[in-house]
Amino acid sequence: METLLEIKGLKTYFFTEAGVVKAVDGVDFQVGKDEAVGLVGESGSGKTVTGLSVFRIVPQPGKIIAGTITYEGEDLLAKSDEEMRKIRGRKISMTFQDPTTSLDPLYTVGDQLAEVIREHQKNISKKEAMEKAEKLLEMVRISEPHLRVGEYPHELSGGMKQRIAIARALASGPSLLFADEPTTNLDVTVQAQVLELIKELRETQKMSLVMITHDMGIVAEMTQRVEVLYAGMMAEVAETHSLFKNPQHPYTEALLQAVPRIDQRKTLRVIPGNIPNLINPPSGCRFHPRCPYAKDICSEKVPPLELTDNGHLTACHFWRSLSLTGT
Amino acid sequence: MEKDTKSDVPTTQEKKVTERREASQWAVAWRRFKRNKAGLAGLFIVLFFVFIAITSPWLAPYPPRSYQSLYEGDAGQSPSLKHPFGTSNSGLDVYSEVLHGTLGDMYVGVGATAIAVIIGIVIGAAAGYSRGGLSDVLLMLSQIFYTIPLLPLILLAARVFLILVAQGFGLTLIMLLLGVFGWSTIAFIVRGEILRVRELEYIQASRALGASRSRIIFRHIVPNILTPVIVTATLLIAGNILTEVVISFLGFGDVNTSTWGLTIQEGVAYIRTQWWVCIFPGLATLFAVLGFNLVGDGLSDALNPRLRD
Repeated sequence: METLLEIKGLKTYFFTEAGVVKAVDGVDFQVGKDEAVGLVGESGSGKTVTGLSVFRIVPQPGKIIAGTITYEGEDLLAKSDEEMRKIRGRKISMTFQDPTTSLDPLYTVGDQLAEVIREHQKNISKKEAMEKAEKLLEMVRISEPHLRVGEYPHELSGGMKQRIAIARALASGPSLLFADEPTTNLDVTVQAQVLELIKELRETQKMSLVMITHDMGIVAEMTQRVEVLYAGMMAEVAETHSLFKNPQHPYTEALLQAVPRIDQRKTLRVIPGNIPNLINPPSGCRFHPRCPYAKDICSEKVPPLELTDNGHLTACHFWRSLSLTGT
Repeated sequence: MEKDTKSDVPTTQEKKVTERREASQWAVAWRRFKRNKAGLAGLFIVLFFVFIAITSPWLAPYPPRSYQSLYEGDAGQSPSLKHPFGTSNSGLDVYSEVLHGTLGDMYVGVGATAIAVIIGIVIGAAAGYSRGGLSDVLLMLSQIFYTIPLLPLILLAARVFLILVAQGFGLTLIMLLLGVFGWSTIAFIVRGEILRVRELEYIQASRALGASRSRIIFRHIVPNILTPVIVTATLLIAGNILTEVVISFLGFGDVNTSTWGLTIQEGVAYIRTQWWVCIFPGLATLFAVLGFNLVGDGLSDALNPRLRD
């Protein structure tokens, strides 16, 4: 498969007054053409920061300090700000977590869509942009688009706002979409609709997808490949199906166990503790304080990323000896 | 919005569409403002005072600070047809003084607020955007200006500088002092709002979708922080008018220009026998301050996007 996006050895640190937060600490990540990849982890695992790093919009005081980001063979980190600005939205695009705040409350839906359309197509008139905005609304299945373009975000439901945010992200026909937790803050039924929509658009618009989420259910539903991040480092990378069946990293197993199952009568297992402080991360394997299989070596040596027999990449000292349960 | 158009229901949906599209944020705000009776009354009062201020040179029967009535033998007279608000013991026509004072006090109130808003936005924006040292210094500066008691300071500065300025520029000096010392509230608001808005997802979203820096600042950040600035500025005008009246009343203002405070000061010694000298400029002050406060309140409701229906 042709590689679209390739991240190698990415380190994005936040230089706060309390110390250097190593939010992303040496992450590799690939997206192939027409591929849907999941980027999974708890809050604070570095998945969103990885996404923002690709766009080079890491908020202050964050900084990309090492690594390469290549998109369609071009080094994004070497681009000028102006060149980068033209890539954002047009080639790579992003939708954000909270649909209630991801639209500007002061402008109508049509205005906000037209703004993005005209940002990348300078010679298009306002009227044409508005017509295109209506088409975009139709594309994301919003009823009566000719009415909706004149409405303000506060007049719309959460699900509608998220659809509009998706429409806005797709306004300039990007070839890669980062969807950052697109279903948080939505009702379960609406969640399903939004996911279905993204799935469909991915096929009709022929774009690749990076699904940033902590929800293993969404990963199973939406992606072909998954990368599990923990505390800014890679835990495991695998084909989605294989990852669910044979997790080869204790953190992946823990994530899978933490998904409630309606068909199994058993107590939900949670992962004890919290994601560590990334100013002073635990020594060795960053997961060892929470890992049920941890031994002495785990706190001493950082586990290397190794290719397992069934094609996973995993960063665990004991992947050979552990037999972990999947679903 | 639905409620507004209920009386004249559009016949077709198409008509409704064009109507909605034309409803810019300002049109929506105006529609909301109109529904607020108190705000509307305030606006009427403010417009009335603005009209008086502009036309005062022609409306007033006597020039500013003119003791002509004394020579006409009309000093200390109660309100009459010739002197609608009466005259002071020293022969000032109170009606003329109130009209001229309107111009003076509006000049000070609006001018000082404009200066404060400009300084406040610059300092607040710089403090909000920058990080670390500069931000801390600007914040501390704002806090110093916020904490020091302004009135004594301005009284002192007015006393010192009024000796230095050319005659006729006394009011401008008061205006400058009020503006230069009174920007801290605006700076706090601008800084806080920028800190709030900057982290909102729609700012990050427009950045991720290729919006330029200037577009983000001028289209998405500034309009979103303008609401509280406009509201505070309106209330600040009222405050500045009141402070000017106090300064003049205490005798620290420009004694060569007509202001409400100066007229009140002239009358205060005779308030038992000649009540009209104090009452009319006092009422003018009361209504001007009330008017601006009502408008400020109305604006704060009308411009709040979360309250739009």
